[in-house]
Amino acid sequence: MIDVLTETPVQEPQRIRGLEMPWNRVMGSIEGPASAAKALGPWHPQEFVAECVETVPEAGGMMTFVFRRCDGAPLAFRPGQYVNIAFPVNGDDQEPVDRSYSLSSSPTQPWTFSVTVKRDPGGLVSPWVHQNVRPGTVLDMLGPVGAFHLPDADRRARYLFLAAGAGITPIMSMMRTIHSLAGTADVVVLYHGAEAGGFAFHRELAYIASVDSRIKVFYALGDRGRPEDWEGFSGRLTSAMIDEVAPDANGRQVYACGPEGYLNSATELLRKVGVDDTSIYMEFFSGDRQTLLEYQAELALAADIAGEIAEDIAESAEDYFESQPAAFGMYEPGYDEDGTLQATGLALEAVGPEAPAAAATPAPAPEAQAPDASSFDTVGTGSLTLSFMRTGINVRIDPEEPILGVAQRAGVRIGANCKEGMCGSCKVVRLSGEIDMNHQGGIRKREIDAGKFLPCCSTARTDMVIDA
Amino acid sequence: MTTSVNAPLSARGKLASAMPAEQLAEITELFALRRTGYSLDAPFYTDPTIFKLDMEAIFGQHWIFAGSVAELPEPGDYITVDYGPYSLIVLRTDEGDVNVLHNVCRHRGARVLTEAAGSTGNLVCGYHSWTYSPEGNLIHASAPGEAKFDKNCFALKRAHSREVAGLIFVCIADVPPADFDETAKIFEPYLAPHDLSKTKIAYQQNIIEEGNWKLVMENNRECYHCDGHPELACSLFPTWGLTEGLIPAHLEEVWDRNKEAQSSLEERCRRYGLPYEVVEELDTRIAGIRISRESLDGEGESFSADGRRLSKKLLGDLRDFRLGRCSMHLQPNSWFHFLGDHVITFGVFPINEHQSLVRTTWLVADDAEEGVDYDLEKLTYTWKQTNLQDKAFVELCQQGAASPAYEPGPYMKSEYQVEAFINWYVQRVQEHLA
Ligand code: FES
Ligand code: FES
Ligand SMILES: [Fe+2]
Repeated sequence: MIDVLTETPVQEPQRIRGLEMPWNRVMGSIEGPASAAKALGPWHPQEFVAECVETVPEAGGMMTFVFRRCDGAPLAFRPGQYVNIAFPVNGDDQEPVDRSYSLSSSPTQPWTFSVTVKRDPGGLVSPWVHQNVRPGTVLDMLGPVGAFHLPDADRRARYLFLAAGAGITPIMSMMRTIHSLAGTADVVVLYHGAEAGGFAFHRELAYIASVDSRIKVFYALGDRGRPEDWEGFSGRLTSAMIDEVAPDANGRQVYACGPEGYLNSATELLRKVGVDDTSIYMEFFSGDRQTLLEYQAELALAADIAGEIAEDIAESAEDYFESQPAAFGMYEPGYDEDGTLQATGLALEAVGPEAPAAAATPAPAPEAQAPDASSFDTVGTGSLTLSFMRTGINVRIDPEEPILGVAQRAGVRIGANCKEGMCGSCKVVRLSGEIDMNHQGGIRKREIDAGKFLPCCSTARTDMVIDA
Repeated sequence: MTTSVNAPLSARGKLASAMPAEQLAEITELFALRRTGYSLDAPFYTDPTIFKLDMEAIFGQHWIFAGSVAELPEPGDYITVDYGPYSLIVLRTDEGDVNVLHNVCRHRGARVLTEAAGSTGNLVCGYHSWTYSPEGNLIHASAPGEAKFDKNCFALKRAHSREVAGLIFVCIADVPPADFDETAKIFEPYLAPHDLSKTKIAYQQNIIEEGNWKLVMENNRECYHCDGHPELACSLFPTWGLTEGLIPAHLEEVWDRNKEAQSSLEERCRRYGLPYEVVEELDTRIAGIRISRESLDGEGESFSADGRRLSKKLLGDLRDFRLGRCSMHLQPNSWFHFLGDHVITFGVFPINEHQSLVRTTWLVADDAEEGVDYDLEKLTYTWKQTNLQDKAFVELCQQGAASPAYEPGPYMKSEYQVEAFINWYVQRVQEHLA
C-alpha cells in the first residue's frame, strides 16, 4: 500500500509574475501569428456550426452543454464572453430563436466549449434546451461576443469575482482559465445562491480552491432557505461581507455577474469599500428593454464582422425584444462609470498591439473652465448654493455653516491661517450673494466695501458666487 | 542594492586649504557662533565663499540623490546632474550597473554630454571628438604624429554610485561616508514594495528658485507654513506636525479624523507587511533620514482634492490603493512621497548661493497609459501648485537674508526638523573644516 498522506509541509509553487493568456504573445508578435496560433486567438466573432457532445446536469436547475465545432477548429474566446445560439424551438422548418449564453468552459481547453443554461420553467427557450439538446444535436452559433472578460495580460491579476445564481457561468470560465494557467494571481470569489443545494459547480470550485492556493471561494445564501448547519455567509451582499472576504478589494479588479438588482447594489457597496468605478466590470443577467436593444446591436455588429449580416435580427429588433422573456441569459457587455448601461460594442478590435488607445478627454484644469456655474459639479447638501468660479464647483451649504471649511473640504483653494477672522489670509472676493461676517480685524472696511470677505468667519445668507 | 562599480578619481584642490587663513578663521567662527534653535546668519545664504564651502563639504562629501531608475531604465540611458561647479553623467551600463562620471572632458575640459538626459553608446566630446567608453575610458583621440600619447592616462573621472530601492545616489568624495549603507537598510523596506523599476516618468518639472539651497530644504522640513498650500491641504491633515496637547480647538475634529485614518492605515500596513513607523535620524547620523508612512485625508489614496487615486494602476505588488504616503527626507538634497498609485521624487541641486534647481519627478506604473489610466494635469496639479507656492516662500526668505535688517529668528516647536537639518549641516561642515 502506498501512503499518500504526509505531514511534511509542501512549499508554495513558484510562478512567473502576473497572468497572461496563452494567445497574448501571439498577438503581440509583429510578424503576424502562425496560422495554428491564429485559430486560437480570439480576434473576431465568427458564425459556425457546433455539435453537442455532452450534457452535464448541474445543481440549481442548471445544465452544462458541451460542444465542439463541426469544422474541427477550436473555439477562440476570452474568459467571460458569450456565444449567441440559434435554437430551432419551433421545429427545423421554422425560424430559430436566438439566445446568448456565457461560455462556462475555459478557452485554454479550446477543442470543446460549453455553455451552462438555467432552466426557467416559464421561459420559452431554456426548457426546450434542457429537454431537446442532446449529444449529436447540431446548432448554428455566433461568437465570441462581449466585453466582459479577463484582460489578455495582467501583471497584477488580483480579482474579486462576485456571482449571484446563474451569474456564476462566466465567472466559472474565468476561474477555470486562471486555474489552468501558470502565473501569480490572487482570486477571491463570493458566490450568492438562493438555497444551500443550488450552487452550480460547487464541487469543482471546492476542488480548485483546495489545490490552487491562488483562489479562495466563499458562499453566501440569501435571506431565505438557510439550513441550520450552513457555514457560509448569509444575507444579501453587504460592504462588511466584501471587506471580510477581500479587505483589499480596493486594489482588485472586480468582475460581477448576476441579476440587475444584485449588480446595482454591488456597485454601491463596492464604491463604499473604495473600489474605483473603472475597476468594476459587470455582466447583467436580466434583460430590460435597453439591455436587449444594445445587446442586439452588438450581436448585429458581431454578425457583420463574421462576414454576414444577421438580417433577421437586425430587421426585427422590436419583435426580438417582445419575444424575450426576462431573466433569460441576456448579457449587457459594458458598464460605465455612471452606472448606466451602454453598448460598448466589440472590444475585440481594440486589443491588437497596434490598435490606438481609446481617446480619453482629459478634464480641463480648473482655471480653463467656462465661468458658467450651471455646468459645475455640485457637492454637499444644504439649502444654499455657493458657486466657486475659479475652482468650478458648486457647494451646497446650510446657512449656519462657516463657508471656509465647507469650501476647503470641496477642494476649493483658499489659504487660511487663524480661522478666526484675524489674519486675513482667507480673504476672497464675493461676486454676488449676502453674508454674515463676524471678523476680528482681519479685513478692512475698504476691502469689505470692495466686495471682499473672510470665509472663515462668515456664513451665507443667500446663494453666493465667489471668486475662488 | 547595487554597489558602486568605480574607483573614485576626483580629488583636486581643496577650498579650505586654499583659503587665506584669516578668511578661514572667520568662517570657522561663524559656524562656531551658530545659535541653536535659530535660523542661520545671513552669510550662510548669501556669501559665495560659504556656498563654495557647501559644495565642498556637503555636496562634495556626501551621498546626493541624483534620480531614479525610471530615468535610466535601459543600458546606455543617462542623465546629467549639475550642482554648484559640478556636472556629472549618471549612466546605465550594459551590465545594468550605474556609472557616475565627471562630465568634464580630459582634453581641454569641455562638457562631454550637453543634454539633460538621453541615450548613448560611447561618449563623444563635441569639441575635438575625444571618445570615451561607458566606463569612462578614453578609447579614441585622433593624435597624428603623437608618439607618446597614452590614452590610459586620460579617463573621465569617476565617482561613486549606489542604487537603493530604485533611487540613485552619487558621491564624488574619494571616500564616501560609510553609514549610507545603514541608512539604505532603513529605507529600503519602506520603498521597495513600490517597485520603481516598474515605473515610468509621467512628468518632470525643473524649477529654478531664487534661493539658497538650504532655504529650499528648510522650507520643506516644516508644515508651519502649510496654510499657504490650499491644494496640498486637501491631502495633508491640517494637524500635520502637531502632537497631542498642541491641537487648537478648531482642529480637534480634524485631529480625531487624522487619528482614525492613521490607525486604519497602520492596520492595513500590518496586513500587507509594510513598515510605517517613523524613523527620524535627521541629525543623529551622517546620512540623515526621516521616513514614515502616514495617512492622507479623504479617501487616503493620493494627492487629490478628494483623496482618490490619480493613476488607476497600482505600483509594484501593492495590493491596496489606500496606503497614504510613505514620505522620506534625506540629507542633504532630497525628499520623496511614495503612494499606492504614484511616486514623486524631489531633488535640490544648488546653482549658486542664491539660486537652486528643484527637480520634481512624477512616476507612475510603467503600464499606466496617459489619458486612460491617469490624467497628467490632475496627476501633477497638487504638487505643481505647491512647488510654486514653496518657490515664492523660499524667495521671500532669500530676499530677507539679503537685507541688512535680517537677523536669525527662532524656530518654533513644529519646526524642529528645520533645526535638525541646520544642525546636521553645521556639524558636517565643522567636521570638514576640522
Ligand atoms: S575638449 Fe573634449 S575633445 Fe577637446
Ligand atoms: S565611428 Fe569614429 S570615425 Fe567612425
Ligand atoms: Fe511648502
